[in-house]
Amino acid sequence: MFKAEGLYKSFGALEVAKGISLELPRGARHAIVGPNGSGKTTLFNLLSGELQPDAGHVFIDGRDVTSLPPDARARAGLTRSFQKNNLFPDLTVLESLAVAVAIGIGGGTIFWRPFARSTESHRRAAEIAERIRLTPYLDAVAGTLPYGTQRQLEIGLALAIEPKILLLDEPTAGMSADETAEMAKLIGDLPDELALLVIEHDMEIVFDFARRITVLDYGSVLAEGTPAEIRASQEVRRRYLGEAAR
Amino acid sequence: MIRIPPAQRRIVAVALLVAALIAWWFSGYAGQDRIGEIAIAAIFAMSLDLLVGYGGMVSLGHALFFGLGAYALAGLTIFLKWPPSAALPVAILLTGLVALVIGRLIIHLGGVFFIMVTLAFGQMGWAWFARDKIFGGIGGLSGLPQLDLSILDADLANPADFALLALAVATLVSLALARLVSSPFGAVISALHRNENRARALGCPVQHYKLAVFTIAAMLAALAGTLQAQRTGFVSPDLLVWTSSGEVLIMVIIGGLGSLLGPIVGAALWTLLHHYLSALTPYWMAIMGAFFIAIVLFAGEGLYGALARLTRSRRHV
Repeated sequence: MFKAEGLYKSFGALEVAKGISLELPRGARHAIVGPNGSGKTTLFNLLSGELQPDAGHVFIDGRDVTSLPPDARARAGLTRSFQKNNLFPDLTVLESLAVAVAIGIGGGTIFWRPFARSTESHRRAAEIAERIRLTPYLDAVAGTLPYGTQRQLEIGLALAIEPKILLLDEPTAGMSADETAEMAKLIGDLPDELALLVIEHDMEIVFDFARRITVLDYGSVLAEGTPAEIRASQEVRRRYLGEAAR
Repeated sequence: MIRIPPAQRRIVAVALLVAALIAWWFSGYAGQDRIGEIAIAAIFAMSLDLLVGYGGMVSLGHALFFGLGAYALAGLTIFLKWPPSAALPVAILLTGLVALVIGRLIIHLGGVFFIMVTLAFGQMGWAWFARDKIFGGIGGLSGLPQLDLSILDADLANPADFALLALAVATLVSLALARLVSSPFGAVISALHRNENRARALGCPVQHYKLAVFTIAAMLAALAGTLQAQRTGFVSPDLLVWTSSGEVLIMVIIGGLGSLLGPIVGAALWTLLHHYLSALTPYWMAIMGAFFIAIVLFAGEGLYGALARLTRSRRHV
């Protein structure tokens, strides 16, 4: 369903991705871990189209999308959430989700009908709000929500376009323990058929949801395997996992 | 974008129209001509508000399309002898085509680059018509025929009739734009104004939407330009000089970006102050400047934003 082959990217002398390959089947639960500066977010930017690789290819459903910009990749079924909340801060939760749904279904070409609560987009937006546990906040302005709740909306926006492949960039970054637990549940409840790729520092969450893990180090794949394999790997243990795996 | 409940919006809109009609009723020849001028400025300002306030594209060359509409009408009616009724829509469509081509070239530019490039295109248009011999160069061209409205028992040479027509068109434009910005299209436009990067990550073909807004805004500016040419029977490069683009931007900012109704008030204030202050003192520009600075400093979202804030605070009491 989704495949990246030999992605290479350098900024001058700094090689940030050195031939990374990755494959996500339908329903994948895949985590990317690695120390800071190991090239995780760069990899996301290469996958989502915000950066163009110097070499390598990205495929969605067998179609080469390497040269496509982020919006075209999103229309092909791939979208992402952001490490820093990237919302429509002065729209309410319902308005944000509804406009995201409208973008997803190409409904923005309708210019003669009011975009009222009664539209299909708003109905679907309410469903998504339920999935991301934001129903009580439907009419709250996004920018005024608590940080953790904004993180939930961040994922809700991505879900609104019904992607086939979803990239989550550190969904629990900066969250309290309670918020992290809530987010872990939310990730656990994501649709089964969705291929999910998550950058995450919290190893507990990673071992909780992931069925495959890729460990990045200095822009290349240090190890890839099932959680059990990664736990068992001496190399990974030495380089990265440290306390968490013991 | 300024948020105000729809019911209050409607009250303000009706109040503006009633005020215009009362002013029309009690005005003489010159006053009624002024009302026509304000209605045209209001259409022009609303078109720019769509572009700047909703689309987030700040243009310093919007008068280019105002002028092109007027010149296209002049060309079609004077040289090709088309009747104004046929020439009007064609002039607007032609301007839309020009906007589509220019927009295609510049729409991806952001912020200050977009401002400078629109300014450059505007000045290119001005320079062209200032040099050009066919349309009379810097001196302009007069003798545009007026729309024949004798079936309505109206004569556009009469400022009273012209003002009513211009008010009717301005009302229609404001209704159509209010509908447009509250549609799914409008919601997507304001979403990508708020956060273009996120809209793109969600799959929004951002540049298509921006190009559509740019072209619609240009065509509405052209509509205002054709009305202006109908009012004066005259076209000159002054129509598309960059200060004209600047003035309409000031009208929009005074009134309140992203409110549609605010720019109407801005257009009225600017036109009236312009006429009455310039008759009183040669330093009228300095007074206008001080007024503009005061609005920006003390009512950041313009007059309409101040009104919105007033009603908000009252609801909290």
